[in-house]
Amino acid sequence: MRLFRNLEQALRGLRLNKANTFLMTLGIMIGIASLTVIVSIGEGTKSKVLNRITNMGFGPESFSVMSGAGRLFFGRSRNTTSMTLQDADDIRAMPNVAIVVPRQRKRMRIINKKEFTTTRVYGVSPEWELARGWGVVDGVFLGDMEMDRKRKVIVLGATPAHKLFGEKDPIGKKIRVGQVFFEVIGLLEKKGLTESGYDPDDRALIPLTTSMSRLFRQTHLHSIKVVTTHPEWVKETMAGVTQILRQNHGLSALADDDFRYVTPEGIMQWVTESEQALNRMLFLISTVSLLVGGIVIMNILLVSIQERIHEIGVRRCFGARRSDITQQFLFESIFVSLLGGAMGAILGWTLSTALKHFDLLPTKITWDPFILAFVFSMIVGLVFGTHPARKAAWLNPDETLR
Amino acid sequence: MTAPKVIDIESIYKTYKNEGLETEVLKGISISVDEGDYISIIGPSGAGKSTLMTILGCLGQATSGTYRLDGEEVGQLNDRQLSRIRNEKIGFVFQAFHLLPGVSAFDNVMMPLVYCNKTPKGADERVERALDRVGLGHRMGHTPGQLSGGEQQRVTIARSLINDPKIILADEPTGNLDSKNGAEIMTTFDQLNSEGRTIIVITHDTVVAEHARRILTLRDGQIVSDRVNETFQKS
Repeated sequence: MRLFRNLEQALRGLRLNKANTFLMTLGIMIGIASLTVIVSIGEGTKSKVLNRITNMGFGPESFSVMSGAGRLFFGRSRNTTSMTLQDADDIRAMPNVAIVVPRQRKRMRIINKKEFTTTRVYGVSPEWELARGWGVVDGVFLGDMEMDRKRKVIVLGATPAHKLFGEKDPIGKKIRVGQVFFEVIGLLEKKGLTESGYDPDDRALIPLTTSMSRLFRQTHLHSIKVVTTHPEWVKETMAGVTQILRQNHGLSALADDDFRYVTPEGIMQWVTESEQALNRMLFLISTVSLLVGGIVIMNILLVSIQERIHEIGVRRCFGARRSDITQQFLFESIFVSLLGGAMGAILGWTLSTALKHFDLLPTKITWDPFILAFVFSMIVGLVFGTHPARKAAWLNPDETLR
Repeated sequence: MTAPKVIDIESIYKTYKNEGLETEVLKGISISVDEGDYISIIGPSGAGKSTLMTILGCLGQATSGTYRLDGEEVGQLNDRQLSRIRNEKIGFVFQAFHLLPGVSAFDNVMMPLVYCNKTPKGADERVERALDRVGLGHRMGHTPGQLSGGEQQRVTIARSLINDPKIILADEPTGNLDSKNGAEIMTTFDQLNSEGRTIIVITHDTVVAEHARRILTLRDGQIVSDRVNETFQKS
């Protein structure tokens, strides 16, 4: 078939003009590579956040209120000290509230003889187990007695337990947290790494009373987790909590809240918003880079046509129609563009994998960018190849042989 | 004349428009060429040789006049039909060879077959035969860069023969060659003509022109002489 023969001539043309071919692929390659990387970062961030939500043990009937103004996980200030146990008690007294877990939190170094690691140490009330639906596989959880007596006991997550004790049984052993010795009484059930690399097992729990008076030596809370009796009460309860906290913290009517909520709904909304922003960025970047890539192809092809003007003339002399010449150059630009797209996809995939491997950014490789790469480079080749190809075809055959 | 006319041109005019300025290059040219004829067209530069070649080769249309090639009226054809005629009926040989660079002699000769409506059976053998015919059967894999000027011109002759054309149109075929290679090329044309091939050579070299049976002299867009060459010998 004529079409295939023109394709064959196009491939030969590309082979014979390797330098031009390479230069033409460059623009598209970079465009598609950045597209691939950006998409995979976007996907990675999204799945990280989604994993966070599921791993925080949020049901639709619960929410957290965190100390400090800001939004979700992003506190504006690190040293807001206004949230106290009084707030937690007041919330517990509200109707429709099932469980209230006040929490303190700090990253600390924990040490067993020569082994040590840094982990998130939480001071929590015994209701934590119920509120999170997360229990121990070995030993016991923190109880009311530990809480009342401010005992120096600790429940380890799987990750620090493994780091400090390896395969040995940690129950009953003494470990040091900062400068204070604790007895290990329980081992939390292992949740395993999430897809995005977040490790929910990287934590240790101690009684809130102990953390307040013996370890962190502070009375203010990091956050309070509230579980209502039914999802329909969440909104109302949140409004009530706002009232209580503002009153307890002595905020005037004009002052901003010095606390913030984390709800599954809020997180989802945030994910959607950031995803939309990301998609807009992505669209802009990929459009610009592919536009540039396309213009590069068009210009090189136009120059190449001047270089190959005799070839075009001879082909026309020996019976090539205008459509044959158009097809040949269009095939060249589409093929070059696809080649650039494929190379860009491979480069992008490599970069994404490297980013993930070296823990620089969360990335997740999906099929979308590769399909996008294929479609986009096809379109770019077609759009930006048309002008040079038609120009080549409409050259006057007798002028091309001068 | 009993032989059928391959080319029949009647009062061809060609006018170029350039920035509003009209230049009349061909002023009423009429030629008829019999099958198997051997014609050379000579004339000083600017006489309109190239323009005439363009029209004879169906690469451009005349402003007025009629052109019948192998019984087919060419004047009204579109690009598609003209391309078919160029492909099937005309074999071009150029002064500057115009071989595809980096492509083997074999593939260069094969090139016109790409644009046939149907790739003929035994295409490879045909290419081999054509190259054998010009004495380059042993150099089929060589690229133009690896061939001498004379050899390159012989490749173009093989290329012009590949589709078994009605006429061979050679534009200054010896212009880029030394006299020895030029003479060899002309001998090849002489042999082709003796095999019955219609050949038109456009040149300004009278020695080359003397190879033909009939010599047309072009001056200022008109044919000023049309004589039979007495020294012509059927080889």
